[in-house]
Amino acid sequence: MAKRVKLLVGTNKGIFVYSSNEERKDWKLSGPFLSGWEAYSVLGDSRNGHALFAGTSHAAYGPSIRVSYDFGESWTQIEDGPRYSEESGFSLNRIWQLVKGAPTQPNTLYAGVEEAGIFVSHDRGITWKELSGLTSHPTRPGWFPGAGGMCLHTIIVDPNRPQRIWVAISAVGVFRSDDGGETWQARNAGLARVPTGQPFDKVGYCIHKMVTDPDNTDNLYMQEHCGVFRSEDGGDSWIPFEEGLTLREGDEPFGFPFCVSPTGDLFIIPLESSEQRSMRDGKLLVYRRHRDEGEWLPIGDVLPDEQRHVSVLRDAMSVDSMDPYGIYFGTTSGELFCSLDRGVNWQRLPGQLSRILSVKPWILEAEDED
Amino acid sequence: MRIEIGVPGLLADCTGGRAKFPLEADTLKEAVERLFADYPMLKRHVYDESGKVRKHVLLCYNKDNLDWLDNWEIPLQPGDKLFVMQLVSGG
Repeated sequence: MAKRVKLLVGTNKGIFVYSSNEERKDWKLSGPFLSGWEAYSVLGDSRNGHALFAGTSHAAYGPSIRVSYDFGESWTQIEDGPRYSEESGFSLNRIWQLVKGAPTQPNTLYAGVEEAGIFVSHDRGITWKELSGLTSHPTRPGWFPGAGGMCLHTIIVDPNRPQRIWVAISAVGVFRSDDGGETWQARNAGLARVPTGQPFDKVGYCIHKMVTDPDNTDNLYMQEHCGVFRSEDGGDSWIPFEEGLTLREGDEPFGFPFCVSPTGDLFIIPLESSEQRSMRDGKLLVYRRHRDEGEWLPIGDVLPDEQRHVSVLRDAMSVDSMDPYGIYFGTTSGELFCSLDRGVNWQRLPGQLSRILSVKPWILEAEDED
Repeated sequence: MRIEIGVPGLLADCTGGRAKFPLEADTLKEAVERLFADYPMLKRHVYDESGKVRKHVLLCYNKDNLDWLDNWEIPLQPGDKLFVMQLVSGG
């Protein structure tokens, strides 16, 4: 069956959708949809029909989840979406992450939000409830935000053990639940702690993005504020995973996105430093390391003859599930790039967008768009 | 009494796609209550979790910010307007 590939791009001024066939050479751009709304999270969900979800927010009007059943042409706000109670004292500012449940949970979605918390829907996104065991964790008084806000930006549901869920919060750390989100345990041993000044030694870790290995979910990888780390025991312990990454003496490997391919290729895009947060010397450089290789390599010089003094945000890089897989990233200056050869050569996609916040592929059967 | 309601274009999907529309009420208090009862998503975007109007949103009765009014039991008059707008916040 022929496939269609869509690339869902959330920006700070709406959502754009790129469409292509399996070749992924020529892309048609549509949008903006939901113009004027920032879209920190987007998700294409084909488990029950075709639903395109967006976590939208606005500096004045706050957040909501919206859904489109016609590939972005029309949208409905979810009335019973994530919301903290007045008694909680928390404020819902943005929807940072929307992910599907495990394969055995075809009606389940999870949402990660700012202020940090996790919500779940078991009815295809219509009604949501908070998994309040996280925000009632004993360390909660010691949670502090990173520069981007106190965001729960990563949710990983173990596809084989749906009761096991990891979340990552900036600048708090990793938590794992083994009972479907009822209770949570901090899982930050071995990470580098950032100076937040709070007294709880189990939190205060500024995770930027975390992924799990496609073949072994006990293997986790992350880009953290102070470096790149790996866990081989489901997050119980972390070790540096930085060989080949020292970019300038005295600097720690700093960046935001981290993604993994279906074949175990890992990708990051390091920045100059925490202070500068831009490509070193304007060189847009992608690093790759296969999980079994000994070091990171600067594999992709995206624009050899041009400089880009930009950043790539934590959810603005992703990999599709095709063979060969495609890898995509968008920049803070609104450019989108695609590679179909493991990150070596890159194609710039058409269009000059606004600040790109999220990039997610969505694979469809070709006939589904007819 | 029929008055005119105005909402920002970005929030018009909360009110059936209309940025301006009529609403029947006898007092300002009744109009505010009816507006947000009829359009719950509009309420979500105007008020925060604590029940306060969001920091960068204004809810106005004619030329008055509702926060400045001591009493909302004001009989409505022909031509009155109740509207939501984004607060000018620098820039």
